[in-house]
Amino acid sequence: MALSAYVILPRGSRQVSLDLAQVAEQIEKMAARLKAEQAERKQKISLAIETLHKQAGQLDHLRQKIQSSRTTWLVAEIPDRLDIHEAPPPCPQDFIVLASDGSHIDVDRHRSARCFLINVGTIKLRYGKHPDAELSSSPSLYFQAEDLVISSPSGNSYEPIEGALLGVKRSVEECHSLADAASELEDSLPTLALLDGSLVLWTLAGKKTYPEYVSQALVDEGFLRYLEEMRKLSLVTQLAIAAYISFPRSTEVTNALRLAICPHDPVDCDRYCRGKDAERQCDSVAGVLDRAIFDQLLSVGERSATFGSRSSIVEQRYGLHRANFFYIKIDDEEIARVEIPLWVAQSGELTGLVHALVWQQCRQGQGYPVALSEAHEKAVVTGADREQFWQLVERDVALKSSAKSRSKRNRWI
Amino acid sequence: MDLTVEATKIGEVIEASTGKFTAQCYQLNQAPPLGSLVKVGSMPSEIFAVVYNIENHSLELGRRPIARGESEETEEGIFRANPQLSKLLCTDFNALVLGHRQAGDIAHWLPPKPAYIHNFVYTCSSDEVRDFTQSLHFLSLLVAANLPTPVEEITAACLRYSSQAHDDPHAFLVKAGKELATLLSGDLKRVNSILKKL
Repeated sequence: MALSAYVILPRGSRQVSLDLAQVAEQIEKMAARLKAEQAERKQKISLAIETLHKQAGQLDHLRQKIQSSRTTWLVAEIPDRLDIHEAPPPCPQDFIVLASDGSHIDVDRHRSARCFLINVGTIKLRYGKHPDAELSSSPSLYFQAEDLVISSPSGNSYEPIEGALLGVKRSVEECHSLADAASELEDSLPTLALLDGSLVLWTLAGKKTYPEYVSQALVDEGFLRYLEEMRKLSLVTQLAIAAYISFPRSTEVTNALRLAICPHDPVDCDRYCRGKDAERQCDSVAGVLDRAIFDQLLSVGERSATFGSRSSIVEQRYGLHRANFFYIKIDDEEIARVEIPLWVAQSGELTGLVHALVWQQCRQGQGYPVALSEAHEKAVVTGADREQFWQLVERDVALKSSAKSRSKRNRWI
Repeated sequence: MDLTVEATKIGEVIEASTGKFTAQCYQLNQAPPLGSLVKVGSMPSEIFAVVYNIENHSLELGRRPIARGESEETEEGIFRANPQLSKLLCTDFNALVLGHRQAGDIAHWLPPKPAYIHNFVYTCSSDEVRDFTQSLHFLSLLVAANLPTPVEEITAACLRYSSQAHDDPHAFLVKAGKELATLLSGDLKRVNSILKKL
């Protein structure tokens, strides 16, 4: 049941918009429900792990089944062994970790000026004989008409950069900053460049479809261009790039196991199971998060095998930068997902570097990569910053803002 | 606390009033010693002040340092393993204005204007310390100050530090003791408290 954020109280009583006493009762019910489901969840995880071990002798068959499958969910591309668990290789004596993270202030149609702001924090941490740190942030205001939209090549149509699309633009700028930081490295030390989140620009692969020219601008000429710059750098220096996802909710490995369980070959969900009331066989592991499987398979510091992403945007556009991923156990509570482009995944040396340095970063950062957490600190735009930003804009632009916006700022009774 | 021959740039003013200023050091833990003389500005108008409080803290409000060295053998090891710390922690110090230079001459009274924010702060060279403390009139501003750290401690530290700039440190301290006895004639307890620390 959805929680209501607005509660109407009798006249004369204290006016609050959220009645926490009522919410607390509902939370208790939710907790009881989750507890009741725990036994079933455990059973599903055990079955998933059992299935994973069983695949050892028939991976070629499973791979073929994945290739020919038609499913409604995303399935991982599987490696030669599913159940390996590798300890982290030793850290190099001297090394560098780069990281970037961003935040933004979205276009606000109630404000006097149409503009958005992206603030990217970039971190360079050098370890070893000459430890050093560079922490910087770079805010960019986008206000020119051509900055605020992505136009089709003919100029006949355009897509405004705001909301989810601004999130993608921000990811592109984070990758841009990381590539710039990598190109400015003076020492050719082993280097890990870390992004926060996923290598896959999910917004552009989601249900809302954007015109082709949007993907071209943001993916081909944006995100992938900067990944390519870093790949070229990696030809002359030991540079690896990775994207780090804390507490991942992905189920791509579980979904591969669902295919292994499915009695149909080729698997075709629509054909065999559409509208099926009886439980499908693959439901016996459905809903198990990948991290629940690897939490049991891995010891602290160890990583899983490297899997491949089969998302449509990756298959169609990423090429050499195709997203691969492995899971790493950080501590008893955290399994992280580390995504690496194909060119990193194909190099044992670079994958080992990612593993060793992600593990080092998490140990130094209380369970989360210290460079990413500092990048976040540099990038973060607080509510107060946001308000001050708009005040500056409106003071200098001195145009009219909407009555709704003014009413939000000057609260009255 | 060694005096330096040359004045050295150590930080910048980040807060200032007529009688006091706060400076942030460029290097963590590299504040000038308590009681030492620092100056801001450059000839012919300089402000002289004594360091009365030093603070090492996090640069960012709301981010408290945490203990990190349980598995490190040395304290330096913590900074080697966490290079970002040197950029996230900082050292500030507070200084009490004791005088200024006016048209090249030293004046032991408050300057007409406070230090500017971002004025560079320098340690004083031994020559400057000697010139500034040649006359002991600066003590009147010092003993009358209302500071969060005990004024007697700062006065004694300042005299010990300054004495090293003089050819006969002992004679300087004796002279300073007499000056204090006059300034604090009604408060023998305070005089004794300072003299015991010289």
